[in-house]
Amino acid sequence: MTRNGLPRTLRLVALAALLAASAGCAHVRAYQREHLVDRIMSFEAQAKKDARQTKSFDAREGSTGGNGGAGGGCACSN
Amino acid sequence: MQQLRRGIGPVALALGVCTAWAPRCSAFLSVDEQNATSLFRYFNDSGHVLVRSLMGDYALKLQNDAALTLHWNNERVTVPAIRAAAGSQEAVDAITTASRPISGNAFQDFIKVRNEMEGSLDRGPAGVDYYYSTETDYLAQQLGGHFNHDFSDEQLNLSLGASYGWDAIHPLANDRSVAVDGTKNTMHWNAVATRVMTPTTMLRVGVELNLVDGLQHNPYRNVYAGGTNVPERHPDHRQRRDAFLKLNQYLMNKSSMKLSYRYYNDDWGISSHEVDSRLSQYVTPALSAEYEYRWYTQTSAWFYREQYLTTSGIDGFQTGDYRMGPLSSHLFGASLNLDLATLAAQHPALGHFGVRVEYQRYFNSNNYSANILETGLDFRF
Repeated sequence: MTRNGLPRTLRLVALAALLAASAGCAHVRAYQREHLVDRIMSFEAQAKKDARQTKSFDAREGSTGGNGGAGGGCACSN
Repeated sequence: MQQLRRGIGPVALALGVCTAWAPRCSAFLSVDEQNATSLFRYFNDSGHVLVRSLMGDYALKLQNDAALTLHWNNERVTVPAIRAAAGSQEAVDAITTASRPISGNAFQDFIKVRNEMEGSLDRGPAGVDYYYSTETDYLAQQLGGHFNHDFSDEQLNLSLGASYGWDAIHPLANDRSVAVDGTKNTMHWNAVATRVMTPTTMLRVGVELNLVDGLQHNPYRNVYAGGTNVPERHPDHRQRRDAFLKLNQYLMNKSSMKLSYRYYNDDWGISSHEVDSRLSQYVTPALSAEYEYRWYTQTSAWFYREQYLTTSGIDGFQTGDYRMGPLSSHLFGASLNLDLATLAAQHPALGHFGVRVEYQRYFNSNNYSANILETGLDFRF
């Protein structure tokens, strides 16, 4: 583990995450998104809960993060 | 008086922002829909620290794809009387990282009140937000902005965000203390991609970077080093970064599974893994239940030791903060969410409300455990 610069593990995790996001997947039309907009599928519906939870964990543990990027359009914004 | 002076700056800033936005706001300040949420949160841990939080959220949809949201929180932290030296590990740490000061009588309960507010204004794909939090010995402010854009026929959304936070720390000190005022500045950036994978699957990935400069140790805490008590000292600079992946999968029996993983690393030598899983299930069209399990593990900071042989610690740094050491934790949670919108046709008044109850049990390898209870009420009008 180096003290400076991005460690290889983090770069690999970030790369794998970006590859997963850009991987080919089915084109889902608007009328096919009934389940995606359900509130139990929502990323944002629980954003406030996640923010409170992160604050609690910040006070108990040595790391932070995981809540970036609230918002977003399309079916993603729910 | 000092509190008052400290409060004038943010108020003036808020007024300035409002004044600058006023001519533009007037063009779209026509209310479409409003939502108010109140939340009561009760936290109690194995050290008998109690935190009571009363929160409120107000959201206002405006014309021209604009929205205004306000959040406030009044938090009361009670740190119980102790039978340990003031400034020692036993005398600190509440859920908000609130700390027991050296001044005052350590053999009486110490009560601390924190007030925070946050406002954000969004229009279309962009938004700005301002955060303000104050307590007896701490003032935190943050200004942020974000932007997102859809691609590929709304299959993919990319979001970028940044913020700058500046904190002022004024430790409550007396003749015995060595605490001095400090500041802390934080720059944050994030980049997040959200992708529709299939009609039942969504994926979100992101990276975050925080650069923190300034006072990052507890000014009230002492460390036993070289046979005596010396003030805790952490490095003034910290680079924190993480990458996360979240997968939401709809299951055909009116339920969903949410899985997430986060890897974190910083230049203090701490790296961590977090895995979280949530199962949501509709009990009725209006009532849903959610079950959660979270596992977390981390390594220690390079300057963390169980014992320090000299008063100069490791390269001049020493810590009594267990968060700097190796750690693992578990969290179990369950919640019930009642959305009465489905009853709006039969009972129009009830249709405006939603109710939520949640219980969480947290425990870690430091022989620490906590109970967290939340109850919330939503009102749409």
